[in-house]
Amino acid sequence: MQPGPEQKRWMYETMLLSRRFEEAIEKIYLEGKQPKFDMAAGPIPGEMHLSNGQEPCAVGVIAHLEEFDTVTATHRPHHQAIAKGVDLREMAAEIFGKRTGLSGGRGGHMHLFDPRVHFACAGIIAQGMGPALGAALSRKLQEKPGIAVAFIGEGAVNQGAFHETLNLAALWHLPLVVVVEDNAWAISVAKKDSTAVAHNDVRAAAYGMPGHYVAANDPIAVYDVAGEAVARAREGGGPTLIEIETDRLAGHFMGDAEQYRPKGEKERLFARDPIPHLRDQMLAAGELDDDEVAAIEARVAAKIDDAITFARQSAYPDPTDALTRVFHPVD
Amino acid sequence: MDVAIPLDLWEGDSQGVVTTWLFDDGATVADGDVVAEVMIEKVQHEIAAPAGGTLHIDKQVDDVIQKGDIIGTIDGG
Amino acid sequence: MSEETQASGRKLTIAKAMAEAIAQEMRIDPTVFVMGEDIAALGGVFGNTQGLLDEFGSVRIRDTPISETAFMGAATGAAMDGMRPVVELMFVDFMGVCFDAIYNCMAKNTYFSGGTVKVPVVLITATGGGYSDAGQHSQCLYGSFAHLPGMKVVSPSNAYDAKGLMTAAIRDDNPVIYMFHKGLQGMGWLGTEPGAIVPVPKDSYTVPIGKAAVVREGADVTIVGLAKGVHNGLRAADQLADQGVSAEVIDLRSLVPLDRDTVLESVAKTGRLIVVDEDYKSFGVSGEIIATVAEHDLGMLKARPQRVAYPDVPIPYSRPLEQFCLPNADKIVAAFDAMRA
Repeated sequence: MQPGPEQKRWMYETMLLSRRFEEAIEKIYLEGKQPKFDMAAGPIPGEMHLSNGQEPCAVGVIAHLEEFDTVTATHRPHHQAIAKGVDLREMAAEIFGKRTGLSGGRGGHMHLFDPRVHFACAGIIAQGMGPALGAALSRKLQEKPGIAVAFIGEGAVNQGAFHETLNLAALWHLPLVVVVEDNAWAISVAKKDSTAVAHNDVRAAAYGMPGHYVAANDPIAVYDVAGEAVARAREGGGPTLIEIETDRLAGHFMGDAEQYRPKGEKERLFARDPIPHLRDQMLAAGELDDDEVAAIEARVAAKIDDAITFARQSAYPDPTDALTRVFHPVD
Repeated sequence: MDVAIPLDLWEGDSQGVVTTWLFDDGATVADGDVVAEVMIEKVQHEIAAPAGGTLHIDKQVDDVIQKGDIIGTIDGG
Repeated sequence: MSEETQASGRKLTIAKAMAEAIAQEMRIDPTVFVMGEDIAALGGVFGNTQGLLDEFGSVRIRDTPISETAFMGAATGAAMDGMRPVVELMFVDFMGVCFDAIYNCMAKNTYFSGGTVKVPVVLITATGGGYSDAGQHSQCLYGSFAHLPGMKVVSPSNAYDAKGLMTAAIRDDNPVIYMFHKGLQGMGWLGTEPGAIVPVPKDSYTVPIGKAAVVREGADVTIVGLAKGVHNGLRAADQLADQGVSAEVIDLRSLVPLDRDTVLESVAKTGRLIVVDEDYKSFGVSGEIIATVAEHDLGMLKARPQRVAYPDVPIPYSRPLEQFCLPNADKIVAAFDAMRA
């Protein structure tokens, strides 16, 4: 399944929006944290897990999704959130811990919830798989349209929830797609030192569903495989497991010195950055021209500037907001 | 002898801070004792005493440091 | 503390103290080994296994996949077969994915076997917040572990206790949940608590599990705390001293066994009790301490006991929200004022 010109442009622009967002966040995260890296300091406190390089995994899959489809994501969620259409201003405000954020500052960067576009993420490895399964089950029970996609990292495949969810999705024949973003590292542990098989698509067979391995960090290749999986789910054909070999250009978290990475690895990764690669491909094929590239860059910059300005200018929540919204009905 | 931040302790020219002194000012230290920890971005590095003797602390916890800085001295021994 | 330590005056951070204790035990006992996520080459996300891989190699210092149920269960099985595993649960918040292996297996097998089986596991795990790591990475969960029978639970407030408790835990034939507070580790990026960085003897020694310490003597009020709470208590004691109030601060050090006698002795003397608890307020440590006093002798108390504990809400991300919830010295002083009213 190949993307049409509109979809290709959407993928390119969305990847660029995601990347520029991460670059903006990275800069702002370091405010107040130099020369002393105090995690609590600055306008964006706490941890930060950036998705630079992994954009193809998000756009190649989410290009096939509608607003009513469900996506669950991980502690590294920004690219999926942006692709799914999470409100960028409210997402930025949430990351800044402001009252105008998606959850009024209660969740933060690892707990971004936007029910309007059926997006949620969490910081416990593989935790999002069960809820994605549940969303798929719910649509089936209600005979309503919509599939669910659970994004996980390759570190998550060795967690019990992965195995239980796959089995149950196949057993109950549910419209679930599980997408493994294999960026080769789970903090400091390489995939080969954590996983008994080289590629996780082979595990799909053990759970009675098709599995695919996408060997390149290429949105077109992801689009192709994901299209098939999403169509299968929509047509009642059950779940699929997809693993994508992607590149994590940033550290595991901001401040990660990455001493565990072999020398030269980062340079090699930057040389195959998927975004300029797609741009150059589209330029060569006449699917984009230089003016359009510039226009896209400008549009993206304006969106991000708007979102960050909104976040910066928004007020912090009242401290007593910490005690509210635990239960319904909400006040 | 100077207790100095080695010139090759980290890559790049970022500044860091002293995060910990493991001995008090005026304490007796042995050659090789880890006397301090410094942090560059999120990584801590140990600083060892280059000789035995009495430690004098120059840079305090949270003071900014860069490669080559002298954070203390050791005399006598 | 030995004269040798006084003379050398060598201090350690809690992270280094933990690593030193583990290394010293591994040198004398070949059955001790370490398992966990990122504990080998990285030396632990919180620095507590630094240097171990270099000294002992990857057979005894082994990184695991993200498979807590499997390796917690494995720790129990290995312990029952004569090994003494030190196993890390990276953040205590992750206990959910493997809690059966801990509370229902590790903690109960001694009992189920009528005492014929030993389960000498040390489970090390990071607790605590204050730096915006949000609801799934900032909890203490002291009560959750202490409440369930069959496992000892300790949490040091300083490097001296950290090393001694670790040595004691490794030598203990029972499962010991060794909870270390992230803000006390000495990792500069999580802030520094100077009071946790103290002289630590180079030799091996133990600190008894199940024994609290009176870290500051006083006559007017007893402040009971654990880990970070001890430091908040000491700061509050300083503030109270300015008001002419003499506060006694107790560092519980262990939750299981709980040293109720030390608490009772202190409250018998002062008549006033404040419990500092970074875990959720209800159904936990703070209630247990107060119940201990009330059951023993309600007449001991000259005023209503106070709890400075975390409210019963998921831990919020945004800094003003999180700081509003956390115990601190000002709240402890305010609690004392409330007792005066």
